[in-house]
Amino acid sequence: MSTGGVAAAMSWRNADFQFAPGTPLILKNFSLEIRPGEFFLLLGPSGCGKTTVMNIQAGFEQVVRGEVLADARAVRGPGRDRAVVFQDSDSLYSWLTALENVEFPLRVAGIAKRERREQAHKALRMVGLETHEHKYPSELSGGMKQRTQLARALVLDSPILLMDEPFAALDAQTRTILQDDLVRISMRTKRTILFITHDIAEAITLADRIGVMTAGPESAIKEIFEVTLPRPRRRGSPAFGELYDRIQAILADEVQRALRREDSL
Amino acid sequence: MVRQTLRQSGTLVFGYMLSLLVVLAAWQYASSRAIVPMLLPSPFNTLKVGVGLWESGQLLSDIEASVLRIAAGFAAGCAVGLPAGLLMGSFQPVRQAFEPFLHFLRFLPALAWIPAAMMWLGTGEDAKIALLAYATIFVVTLNTMAGVAAIPRNQIRAARSFGATRWQIFLLVAVPATLSYMVAGMRLAMGNCFQTVVAAELVASDSGLGFLIFSSRRFMQTEIAYVGIAVLGTIGILTDLLFQLATKRLLRQYVLQPNH
Repeated sequence: MSTGGVAAAMSWRNADFQFAPGTPLILKNFSLEIRPGEFFLLLGPSGCGKTTVMNIQAGFEQVVRGEVLADARAVRGPGRDRAVVFQDSDSLYSWLTALENVEFPLRVAGIAKRERREQAHKALRMVGLETHEHKYPSELSGGMKQRTQLARALVLDSPILLMDEPFAALDAQTRTILQDDLVRISMRTKRTILFITHDIAEAITLADRIGVMTAGPESAIKEIFEVTLPRPRRRGSPAFGELYDRIQAILADEVQRALRREDSL
Repeated sequence: MVRQTLRQSGTLVFGYMLSLLVVLAAWQYASSRAIVPMLLPSPFNTLKVGVGLWESGQLLSDIEASVLRIAAGFAAGCAVGLPAGLLMGSFQPVRQAFEPFLHFLRFLPALAWIPAAMMWLGTGEDAKIALLAYATIFVVTLNTMAGVAAIPRNQIRAARSFGATRWQIFLLVAVPATLSYMVAGMRLAMGNCFQTVVAAELVASDSGLGFLIFSSRRFMQTEIAYVGIAVLGTIGILTDLLFQLATKRLLRQYVLQPNH
């Protein structure tokens, strides 16, 4: 899991996590290195702690043992160096328009109005939402809301982008369009992206590497896959199918293991 | 589209008028059958007495006295209740310090405080306004607190990830996110004020709609009591309509946007 001599953008070393003392460990000995500029997909069975990994990396939760680093600095809380796109669009501020939502991080940072408006326009253009900038979140479709979240995360120029199943609630067509847009944006902006998903096809479509987690509790990384398929990736290709089957087999194993463990309790 | 909206509004108004006419007819019928007519005067007689009170100027001065008291008490109650609810909802130490008192006091009606209010503040306007403020504070505080508790966790987390300070989160997220709850609490509190103003004006008062209602007993003029009740209820409805209109116009993006 080494980054080959280059300082990792995100790094986990033997990290344990539990929600409260006396409760089971959600993550145990969790180790992972994500390279700068990499598009890393974290995949795992339901309830394995994928979102917990993102919350810890974002600084919303703290590990009880081991260390978690972002750009070689210990993560002690949330920060502007790690922008977050949440699964639910309820993180958008319902009383602000799309434009004002995208401006919000800049407003918090104390950027002057004219400059922040300019940057927000740029971010909205990047996600193709410039014609809807004056709409409130309640007037936007699910896909548009997630585009707004993405623009809001991009506007701060944070080197790290954390995305927690951002397209999970969208219809298949919108999801495919947003996946293509995200690949384009990631290649253009060179951010390091940690993307959580439970969808194997989505992982193969987007990732430079895919980390597959073991079933919880006490989850860790089971295997990492380097995805070398040329972009754009489409499901029909034999190489795509082969990788899908390999990952599917591991996940099926993990789900079976979790079920056996539940039965024995 | 406009014609359809007008037709819908017309149907609505017609429905209200019809229901009002039915109630008035039932009232008229019941009063004509009453064994002691004084106990239930007819709507016609009540209206006649009301017109007389209006022409003499007494009704207007009583309306003015009650409305000014309600406005002052409501404003004072909101001035305390809104920040208290925001602070108690946002900061745990503040909540821990004040929540037990809040829950103790909210079960005590303003009526229970009338003797204490008179002893502390005298029999003038201060005591009445304090009682109305009391009737406002707890509903507004509790609703505002509930609003803070209902803020989606991701909204706070997003702000934290943008580097927002606790104060920025309070001002830029907690306050606007809670506005719809504040407004709902204020509407409820306004109703409480209308109820409390009657109680406040029963004691040591020589003006106001509560005084008008209570004074009718002296000469067994029940029509006056019914005039006071009808006027108070009508002002209540009008105030609520005005409040809703103002809210829609001034706080549209905060109140009318459904929470996703």
